[in-house]
Amino acid sequence: MAVPKRKKSRSNTHARRSQWKAEIPTLVKTIENGKTTYSLPHRAKVVEDSAGTALFLEYKGRKVADV
Amino acid sequence: MPKPTKGPRLGGGPAHERLLLANLAAALFTHKSIKTTETKAKRLRPVAERLITFAKRGDLHARRRVLGVIGDKSVVHELFTEIAPLVAERDGGYTRITKLGFRKGDNASMVQIELVLEPVTPKRKSAKPAAAAAPAEAEAEVVEEAPAEETTTDAAADETGTDETTEAPAEESTEAAADEAPAEEKDAK
Repeated sequence: MAVPKRKKSRSNTHARRSQWKAEIPTLVKTIENGKTTYSLPHRAKVVEDSAGTALFLEYKGRKVADV
Repeated sequence: MPKPTKGPRLGGGPAHERLLLANLAAALFTHKSIKTTETKAKRLRPVAERLITFAKRGDLHARRRVLGVIGDKSVVHELFTEIAPLVAERDGGYTRITKLGFRKGDNASMVQIELVLEPVTPKRKSAKPAAAAAPAEAEAEVVEEAPAEETTTDAAADETGTDETTEAPAEESTEAAADEAPAEEKDAK
């Protein structure tokens, strides 16, 4: 089995870990009934009732699938 | 003609892929709308649309060609008698793929692939640029700012017009979907 010869330095470890970043998703801004909502592009959205229960998935005003 | 697929077969071999796509197509024709992964849906689309083209032709030879792919006679009967008349006016594009998000477990991109069974609404392609261009040319000499505003209002009016036309079939489709809701629920699970 291959075994590391030298200890990995702290600076190398930190340099590697600093490259791991979260990406900002590009969102689409739509205004529905005077409320601004942000959503992922080209993706069906979950429609919820007033209590927050998921009803169905919708895309461009068309019911696509059940949740 | 469908674009040849790149990469390895689905499933594990050519025969497995053929069976997999045939089964997916049969499921699509029975339930009208199925949830699957994006890769499978993209492979399924040309297969299913080709079968629908055979169904639109409607003769015995076409039926036997389809039966060569889908073995189930009841599914093929439904395809020829129920689905084919609904898409008779449509020139291709019989399926619609909508992305739903990623599956928990393997993070596969899931989609809903459905048959487009709404009546065809013809596109008003030539009307929009002509309407926008005509006032711009006519009133360009008078004031520079005025036609720009008017063209925007015309464009907005056209957009609202198209929105209304697109919304009308969408409502019908939701009604149709409500009728088929139990079938879809079975399929989703």
